Amino acid sequence: MIISVNWLKKYTDIDISIDELTELIGSRLVEIEEVIDLGKKYEGVVIAKVVECAPLEGSDHLNVTKIDDGGVVEGVERDENSYVQVVCGAPNVRAGLTVAWLPPKSVVPETYGKDEFTLDARKLRGVMSNGMLASAKELDLWDDHEGIMELEDERKAGESFAAAYELDDYLLDIENKSLTHRPDTFGIIGFAREVAGIMGKQFTTLPRMLPGGVRWPEKVGDLLTPKVTIDNPELSSRYQAVVLANVDSKIPLAPLEIQTYLARVGVRPHSAVVDVTNYMMMISGQPLHAFDYDKLKAVNDGEIDIHVRAGREGEKLVLLDEREIELSTNDIVIANGDTPVALAGAMGGRDTEIDENTTTVLLESASFNLYNLRNTQMRHGIFSEAITRFTKGQPAELTTPVLAGAVDLLRIAASAELVSDVADAYPVQQKSADVCVTQSTINDVLGSDFGMEEITNTLLNVGFDVDVESPYTIVAKAPYWRTDIHIPEDIIEEIGRLNGFDNIKPVLAARDFTAVSPSDFDKTRTLMRRTLTRAGANEVLTYSFVHGDLLKKAGQDLENSYRIVNSISPDLQYYRQSVLPSLLNLVHANIKSGYDEFALYELNKAHVKSDGLDDAGLPIERDFLAFVVASKKPHGASAFYEAKNYLEYLAQQLGVDMQFKPAFENPKSANARPFELRRSAAVIAGEEVLGIVGEFKRSVMSSFKLPEHTAGFVVSSSMLAKLSNDAQSVYTPLSRYPSVERDICFQVNADVDYEKLQAAAQGILDGLDVATEIKPVDIYAPDTSEYKNVTLRIKFTSYTKTLVSEEVAEFVRAVEESAKTSVNAKIV
Amino acid sequence: MSSIDSIKDALFARVAVSDSPREFLRAPELRTLASEIKNIPNDQKAAYGKSLNEFKQELTSRIEAREAELADAAVISIDVTAPWGVNESRPELLSTTIGSEHPISTELDRIVDIFTRMGFDAHESRQLDDDWNMFGALNFPEGHPARDGYDTFRTEEGFIPPAHTSTMQNRVLKSGRKKLEAGGQIASISYGRVFRNEDVDATHEHTFYQCEGVFVSKDASLAQMLGTLRAFFEEYYGQKLAIKTQPGYFPFVEPGLEFMIEKPASIGGKPGDWLEMLGCGMIHPNVLRAADIDPEKYRGFAWGGGVERMIMLKYGIEDLRHFESGKLAFLRKFA
Repeated sequence: MIISVNWLKKYTDIDISIDELTELIGSRLVEIEEVIDLGKKYEGVVIAKVVECAPLEGSDHLNVTKIDDGGVVEGVERDENSYVQVVCGAPNVRAGLTVAWLPPKSVVPETYGKDEFTLDARKLRGVMSNGMLASAKELDLWDDHEGIMELEDERKAGESFAAAYELDDYLLDIENKSLTHRPDTFGIIGFAREVAGIMGKQFTTLPRMLPGGVRWPEKVGDLLTPKVTIDNPELSSRYQAVVLANVDSKIPLAPLEIQTYLARVGVRPHSAVVDVTNYMMMISGQPLHAFDYDKLKAVNDGEIDIHVRAGREGEKLVLLDEREIELSTNDIVIANGDTPVALAGAMGGRDTEIDENTTTVLLESASFNLYNLRNTQMRHGIFSEAITRFTKGQPAELTTPVLAGAVDLLRIAASAELVSDVADAYPVQQKSADVCVTQSTINDVLGSDFGMEEITNTLLNVGFDVDVESPYTIVAKAPYWRTDIHIPEDIIEEIGRLNGFDNIKPVLAARDFTAVSPSDFDKTRTLMRRTLTRAGANEVLTYSFVHGDLLKKAGQDLENSYRIVNSISPDLQYYRQSVLPSLLNLVHANIKSGYDEFALYELNKAHVKSDGLDDAGLPIERDFLAFVVASKKPHGASAFYEAKNYLEYLAQQLGVDMQFKPAFENPKSANARPFELRRSAAVIAGEEVLGIVGEFKRSVMSSFKLPEHTAGFVVSSSMLAKLSNDAQSVYTPLSRYPSVERDICFQVNADVDYEKLQAAAQGILDGLDVATEIKPVDIYAPDTSEYKNVTLRIKFTSYTKTLVSEEVAEFVRAVEESAKTSVNAKIV
Repeated sequence: MSSIDSIKDALFARVAVSDSPREFLRAPELRTLASEIKNIPNDQKAAYGKSLNEFKQELTSRIEAREAELADAAVISIDVTAPWGVNESRPELLSTTIGSEHPISTELDRIVDIFTRMGFDAHESRQLDDDWNMFGALNFPEGHPARDGYDTFRTEEGFIPPAHTSTMQNRVLKSGRKKLEAGGQIASISYGRVFRNEDVDATHEHTFYQCEGVFVSKDASLAQMLGTLRAFFEEYYGQKLAIKTQPGYFPFVEPGLEFMIEKPASIGGKPGDWLEMLGCGMIHPNVLRAADIDPEKYRGFAWGGGVERMIMLKYGIEDLRHFESGKLAFLRKFA
């Protein structure tokens, strides 16, 4: 929203600099996105009189003019009368006109700040022309192809154009989202009131804007009051209408002052009636609508019988912009008789539009349900100045003063006559909010120290009535335009804001000395992150939403994903069921970028429909740790063992005891879908399955373009965190005696699991009275052999003595015996 | 036609058991069928061509299926209990020098650390929530225009990917009510991922992180809110900071403010440069009521702001899209 500072000044004195003003508005009213110095655009533009005008010889459209600028512009060639010669091609140029002259060295306002065009003195067809006479378009006011702009005769030659039309202005580009609850500030008057308030000044509201302040002019003739009915008071709190006749549409536009003010805030001139309604809307925030009275009557057999009602299923309406829309029961329509003639609050209908033949208008001033209008706005894509204001919820009490203001202006600007009484459907009187609040509540909530007088004056300045109930209690009565005031907090906000929140001294809350720690889950998650990072892996964060193709590539069922229905892109169509596929999706791109080997991990959430809902009726949300390791070239160990090695390292750092069992089919597990079960293991801790580690299915490998050496895991990070938190830290003291190591090479059948062999050894070692540790050294098999040789290194440590060879040999023999019995091992 | 049918079944049967199924794309039978077309009456040529094409397509898909079957059969089971495979060497971890944490994680840890030291507990926010937590509990009436500002996604079931971490507020207030009534305070932050239905560019993302805080006590005040937030940012940037505010409108607070800090020297700030850090305000009585907390007895303040911007300012990161790109070129800068 654009706010003109000069426009504000019409309603309140502003005697501080623009910088101080914008600083104050920014800190106490609303964010200003940009301040535009409009005066700069019109620098050098001078009002002049066309004294002589004669056709240029040899041209069919150019005229040579002599203009009088009162001699104010320096450095231009002048004749003996001190007039300046300008060649002009506009069809309407003639002697006697008052015009805007762009002298040499001035910049054409239309080009200001863009590709600037600076004028000079140059010859046109051999005749010297000093600068140019400007059209409204060249002055960047509005599109006008008729010719140069014709100014009022009473303007003086030599006067600055900017000063004459108050274009020596600053425009404030306001971020109006934060004024959503303040319909009053969408009008210049309301905004000016706030500006007065934040400057600590009393704002004087025009008497006409106050309740009961309207004086209607005497009506002419005996036209009956138009019949208006609000069929459903939920849709509209008030509907007023009057009829104005003898509207002189030959007067194409409202006075230039109105036009130039509208133009600077982006509203183009249209016709006297429309310009006046726009002007009233801009100053008050209350949109008006004008119907062509005769066309309106015509749709209902010559009768006016206006109804404000809901749209009906299947009903159609052609709007001003020629669009035919289908109405919904959420739309509010204005109908005459049974025929819809306007989409209330949004746009008028084509069939009742005013045009150059219009002589009589019916002027509407009404308020509509903002929720319905918001709906209408979205459904029909209408984002006009009017609906923007209506959707903030303009109050019912505002319709009368604005309607009266428009009638007054139209009588002046379009020589219109009021020919009817005011029709007024107003089913429920708007109530003003009375809010009782104490001085101490205000100061307690804000942490401030306001006195009663400060509090009272702050409210009086912006139009509240204040009753002092007791020395420390007031009842603040909100003016009708403050529809946002309901509760003491609203008054507290006013006091804090208008006096500047920044004047409140920041303090810290008192607290006890209880220590607060991050949650167990957060702590463990940080530890997981540290561990994997230390092991050379890179943490990634990827989107929670995925393309359906990604789910398919990972072998997951689309129906098992929560689906986003209003996504802007197919990439964000589904909630992911597992974090891992997002990582697989990154492997190929990173390899292509020149990273030959890497490990990626992500700690994040996933949702699977088949998990169902929790007690609060929300989808079960699970936390996972997903990991993938990939290499362009094969490594010494299969990818499976690399991924498992990472997981074991993590388990050890977290103090979690993990086992690996051959993976099994769990049709419900979305996590397991991409894994090749013959080369994957279920990750088990105690009774619980934490997740899965392994290589991927051939189909997954090819659809994600994964290199041969790729594996990964996905485990429940919340279960892992719990296990880690429950883990006891184990420490065994150092022994004072040396340790002894022995390597044993077992030959076992190729299909004997490593774990079985290790268990056979461990069973014996656990029964010894020395500390032991088993480490694998080598797993070897000659080609096509039915056997494999597994070499284990066992470390023996006694806490009571130095072990001798015989003792150790005895231990080794026991281990060998156990392996022979349980896995049929031979000792090599 | 009949000749296609007769050849088809035989060919498919052979593909199904072949060790090199791709060869069947060059089967002589196909050539025969193709040359057959000259003997077909003109009015049947189109139909013949069509069925020949369909046949070729089905053959291709059967070949692919057989290839996948062969590849699958070639998969060798492994001993998942072993430390490495037969004739393989011990697997190694990658070099510690290339490992990295994501800058968002690092920063969230730091934010959580400061707030916990200040006495706030911390929880990660949900990533899928409902209308009540997104809007209803936060004093946004049904159909209220202020809802538009959040550009929320929706699922088929009407669930909402949270557009702010304030979705946690009602839960935090409810779970802290007992503590409050026992004479304590609610001091809690929620952090996590939020979603907005926006086009993505260097400064806009549909997925980003926020951190949100609430404090409720018998005597919470706006002055305390300003003090708390200033204390956080001073600790975060390790220097004294000037602050200022701007009125803001959020239905869940009254009064509502935007909170700014003077850009710290450590990130290249000069006096007069201001950074908008977050939105904040005194918790609206309706929000307390929605959590069964009596607004006559207790008051609170709340705030929430984005995390990425703090990181971008800290490191001079130029493009918001890097964060979720998964590019090692970006990630390893934080190694």
